[in-house]
Amino acid sequence: MKKKVLATLMTAAMLATTLVGCGGGDAGSAPAADGGAAEEAPAADAGSDDAAAADDGAAAEEAPAEDAAAAEEEIPTATFGDPNGTHMEMWTFVEIHGQHYGNMVEKWNEQNPDRTIEITCTTYPYADMHTKLLTSLNAGTGAPDICDVEIGQFPNVVAGLDTWLVPQNDAAAPYLDTMVPARMAVYSGSDGNNYGIPYHVGATVMYYNMAALEEAGLSQADVDAVVTWDDYAALGQKYLDAIGNPEDKHWTSVDTAGCDWLWIAMAEYGEDWTGGMGGTANVQLDSVKKMLTMQQEWVNSGLAMVSPDGHVDLEAGFQNILDHNIVSFPKAMWYMSRFTNYMPEEKGNWYIAKCPVFEAGQKCSVGIGGTGTVVTQQAVDKDLASEFLCWAKMSEEGEQLIWDNLGFDVCNTVLWNDDAFAHDENNQYNQFFRNFPYDVLYGIKDDIGTVYTTSISPTINEQMCNVTLNDVLENGVDVEEALQAAQDVVDLEQ
Amino acid sequence: MNKFKKFFYSQKAAPYVFVLPFIISFLLFWIYPLCSTITMSFQDIKPTGTEWVGISNFQKLLKDKIFHTAIKNSFQYMVLTLVLLIPFPMFFAVLMDSRLVKAKGFWKACLYVPALTSVVISGTLFRLMFSEYPTGQMNVITTALGLGTFKWLKMKATGLGALLLVACWRWTGVNMLYFISGLKAIDTAMYEAADIDGATAWQKFRYVTIPLLKPTTVYVLTISVYAGLAMFMESYMLWAGPDSPNNIGLTIVGYLYKRGITKNQLGYGSAVGIVLLVIALAINIVQLVVNGTLGKEEK
Amino acid sequence: MAETTSVKGEETMGMRTKRNILTVFATALFAVLSFLIVYPLFAGLIASFRPGTELIRRGLSINLDFSTMTLNNYTYLFGNNVDGHKYFMWYKNSLVLMLVTVFLTLLVCYIVAYGLTMYNYPLKNFLFFLVIATMMVPFEILILPLYKEMINLKLVDTIWGVMLPGICGASTIFFFRQYMSGLPKDLLDAGRIDGATEYGICFKIMMPITKPAFAAMAILCAMGSWNNVLWPMLVYRSAEKFTLPIGLNTLLTPYGNNYDVLIAGSMFGILPVFIIFLCFQRYFIEGMTAGAVKG
Repeated sequence: MKKKVLATLMTAAMLATTLVGCGGGDAGSAPAADGGAAEEAPAADAGSDDAAAADDGAAAEEAPAEDAAAAEEEIPTATFGDPNGTHMEMWTFVEIHGQHYGNMVEKWNEQNPDRTIEITCTTYPYADMHTKLLTSLNAGTGAPDICDVEIGQFPNVVAGLDTWLVPQNDAAAPYLDTMVPARMAVYSGSDGNNYGIPYHVGATVMYYNMAALEEAGLSQADVDAVVTWDDYAALGQKYLDAIGNPEDKHWTSVDTAGCDWLWIAMAEYGEDWTGGMGGTANVQLDSVKKMLTMQQEWVNSGLAMVSPDGHVDLEAGFQNILDHNIVSFPKAMWYMSRFTNYMPEEKGNWYIAKCPVFEAGQKCSVGIGGTGTVVTQQAVDKDLASEFLCWAKMSEEGEQLIWDNLGFDVCNTVLWNDDAFAHDENNQYNQFFRNFPYDVLYGIKDDIGTVYTTSISPTINEQMCNVTLNDVLENGVDVEEALQAAQDVVDLEQ
Repeated sequence: MNKFKKFFYSQKAAPYVFVLPFIISFLLFWIYPLCSTITMSFQDIKPTGTEWVGISNFQKLLKDKIFHTAIKNSFQYMVLTLVLLIPFPMFFAVLMDSRLVKAKGFWKACLYVPALTSVVISGTLFRLMFSEYPTGQMNVITTALGLGTFKWLKMKATGLGALLLVACWRWTGVNMLYFISGLKAIDTAMYEAADIDGATAWQKFRYVTIPLLKPTTVYVLTISVYAGLAMFMESYMLWAGPDSPNNIGLTIVGYLYKRGITKNQLGYGSAVGIVLLVIALAINIVQLVVNGTLGKEEK
Repeated sequence: MAETTSVKGEETMGMRTKRNILTVFATALFAVLSFLIVYPLFAGLIASFRPGTELIRRGLSINLDFSTMTLNNYTYLFGNNVDGHKYFMWYKNSLVLMLVTVFLTLLVCYIVAYGLTMYNYPLKNFLFFLVIATMMVPFEILILPLYKEMINLKLVDTIWGVMLPGICGASTIFFFRQYMSGLPKDLLDAGRIDGATEYGICFKIMMPITKPAFAAMAILCAMGSWNNVLWPMLVYRSAEKFTLPIGLNTLLTPYGNNYDVLIAGSMFGILPVFIIFLCFQRYFIEGMTAGAVKG
């Protein structure tokens, strides 16, 4: 509140001085105008003093308690826990992630009264946060104790290995037996140590707008019968025929700014374009070629459209779903929270099923996206930070909160068929969708593949999203040719 | 101590005291970064340590197709801004300077307003206008003309067009003002003499205005070349980040930013900077030579 | 520009008609041009009175249906809520940065230009050459090493880090120098005879008569600082220090752009510069075009 009053008054002071100068200038007397201009700065300074004085008055008029609360809100930070405990700074790019640590720190303090923690969570815009983290790690100062790192950015951060980050091997050990191993592996460094703690598996599933399909005369049984991509495309054609093939309606949308579809294809064939940790990257894989060729055909036939702005996890994508321009799409489980947050009016319409495959018997899912949380070497108490982090993200209490509040498919597989956990009627996601999300997840438990995120991944991802996918899906470039061009770019970096 | 004070107040020392801030700033914020950018361009700077890699950064640049795209884009943009932002503003300035236009002050102010807005604001406005939805402004116009809708910011030609439109929008008024002030400096006696010789309006423009406007033109040309080559924020705002489909909006500085800042590859990013530096210096030298010889001919 | 020798009465009817037609055409040309140029800002202004959700559905397009226009975005912006507080924090940061930058830049550039104009000494021309040389390298080339330097000097995330690299603006020094070369140097000797020190002459005698140059540069410098994005974006790390352009930029996120605040905030952000411009148009133009005439 204070700052705002100050700012307003300063603007007013500035405008007032400029307007005074204005009069002189308009009158056409040059010297008078000169005076007005040159005195502008000091006058505005004086104005700010007045503003500071006036500010006290203004604040007194308002409820003082509210004033303090408002001042705290100004910066997107939130402090939780025991003010006398060890203080930790935490950065994230998703505000509700911060709240999770807030909740967990309260519980931690209850259970560990002798080792209490106070944590301050700051939310920055995505790109800013990663840039800031890199520079402060580089500088050796200014980094937070704990930080969320998005998987696409993880290779840049893990490049610093244990000069930048604290290995989590020991702190994570008690939880490892129930965790999906592949998810731990994606956050490891080239030295084999584990540096990041995951929130979720991010298993891909297929989302269907069942309400729209029913209007077109299709049933849940039709959807459940889909096994292969051919089945999927045939069902889509049936749907489009039923609604009369309108030009602006499509079965699904394909992405030009996201690689999810290609990841699914790779997982189905058990391939990985990064070549795994320490491998040689190769994007000219059969799985990738098959998927791109299939998508190109879909776009040409009108079965699929190109996602507006490049992929469905964007504002334009939400709008596209709300407008029922598309009625099905594959996406990771964490996309559920996009429904509840940005498309609440779709409640009760959507059904979750497993993804189709190219050949029956293949794996049908892949862990996509994710945020690995790291402890930096600049942490005040590295051991305490690591222990708290692993507990907050991997203990059953932590996983419960992650599912309830963040809507993630937790990495602890034991919970997937735990009735109390998976079928809780109070859970907003269980209420939102037509079926229980964890039932689907449990059904594909052994069919979740892995594509690694290594130091070459940012290059591949960038080339795919900037060039290759656009070429293939928007400009009709031949798949082989586009992938060859991508491979050339990738080869330059390795 | 007293001696020092006396020296400090002497007429000999005073000028050096006055220029001292410049010398400090020059060394700290120009010479030092310039030298370190040169050094860094021969290094591979990793979090775990710095390595000398000779000219391998530059060898990689030679093979880097994305970098070539960036150079091509920057040059195309620069050349086209020159074509659009010199003749038209000059023509507008001549009109403004004549007695043919009413309400001059108002039009001048209107044309100047865009230069006051931050790139963040203008870029956002133009991104929304060039939205690929049928209701975006540009698509409304093309639909009304019976051309249908376009994905403006996904195609090379329209993407470049959008960038140029932002440039023209922001700088037409400013460049016009430059030319107007240049015209004001031309002695009216020159036109009177031309009138006596019975020159037509075109002849006066061709043989009096253009040659005498040369210093202004050279100035506008120089700043436009620099601004064109170093353009980055316009593209950053139009595509909401350093990435654009098929890299149609990628510029040299955009690539420098992406490598050096986003990917933390200071060495490779610096090499990109050095290439830009060499290009800028080469253009400077060419310009000096051309102006020098032209200047001599006139004498 | 013609008809300097001809007397009004001698003009034939034909000439007058032709002139009138040309006047209409030329004026119309500028009217159209001005319309096109003001249009995007106008569209933005209209959009700022509509809910942000409409922007997503409609893109930016003028829809003059006044019944759907509300002041909601502005009342929200000025209201007691998180976004409003954030916005005015950025606004205040921008104002502070602008005032400090203008004050220090002008002071430093003035004294440097003074030292480069009012005295004769061996290094004078060389130093002036260096000033010009700094103009020959685009600033963007230096951002990586400068950024690293700022980290080493611990100036990252401070107002000094944002300001210092640009404080000796070559073009500002150039402008002051040009202005001062036209001032009488007798004043210096007169001052010395009166017993003023070299520094006293600089600040007490010469500074007041350089006021018009200060006015012109203050406006340009203020505008530059208010609209500067790239460098502050790199230097500032803490959200509570962001300036208005950087802050507005943070409203664009993948999961929903806060168009309500963004557009209304952008429009309100143009206001200070716009008002200064309207009032001091003359100085704007003087400052901007100083380099263009002499070449």
